[in-house]
Amino acid sequence: MIHLVFLGKFGDVAPAGLGEIALPALTEAGVRTLADLNHWLAAREPLLGRTMAATRTRMIVNQCVAHDLSQAIADGDEIAFLPPMSGG
Amino acid sequence: MQIRITADAFDSQAEIAAFTAGRQDAGALVSFTGTCRAKTGDVAVEELRIDHYPGFSEKEIGRLAQETAARFACLDLLVVHRVGVIRPGEAIVLVAALSIHRADAFKAVETLMDYLKTDAPLWKKESGPQGARWIEPRAEDHARRAKAEEGQK
Repeated sequence: MIHLVFLGKFGDVAPAGLGEIALPALTEAGVRTLADLNHWLAAREPLLGRTMAATRTRMIVNQCVAHDLSQAIADGDEIAFLPPMSGG
Repeated sequence: MQIRITADAFDSQAEIAAFTAGRQDAGALVSFTGTCRAKTGDVAVEELRIDHYPGFSEKEIGRLAQETAARFACLDLLVVHRVGVIRPGEAIVLVAALSIHRADAFKAVETLMDYLKTDAPLWKKESGPQGARWIEPRAEDHARRAKAEEGQK
């Protein structure tokens, strides 16, 4: 199982039920890396894909910033999508 | 160093009193409290909602605070940040710094606030009679962040 977390405005457009995806379903769809996952998400959820493409999106894997989208995904990963931040 | 993210309203005065209790080593205490405005420009704000990413938000804010404390020789730093629904007049964020002399504490608080605006994993949404909108850092926030970084070199 892969756990997906959508923060801020991404959470508003990500449909419920997208939080957990079975790894075999992704593997069958040819999803091996973070970049593949982005493409898969954009194709499956066009509104979410457009929202993420329109802004600076950072990916966090197991609480660490992903610098390389060719990073492979693994069973049990928690992958978060972060829009630009606005604290303070 | 104390970093706290809380869904509950907090009292800056009480937080600062607890933070400084029993300390005799500091010559300076500087604090900043950011509060929720009832208006942004001409747009009325009924409530603010702040999202965080549990674990990651604390970790990143801790890293920013650690960098700031080391850079300005702070004896201690306190960050309290609200998440969830916040009403006008309530405190959103408190940053307090203790140092031996005042210049370090002043700079630490200002610098950490500049970092929090652009780099803290928190997401703010304003709602009012005219609808809701997600807030993103303004050009001014990025400029201040760049200037804070510049001072480090």
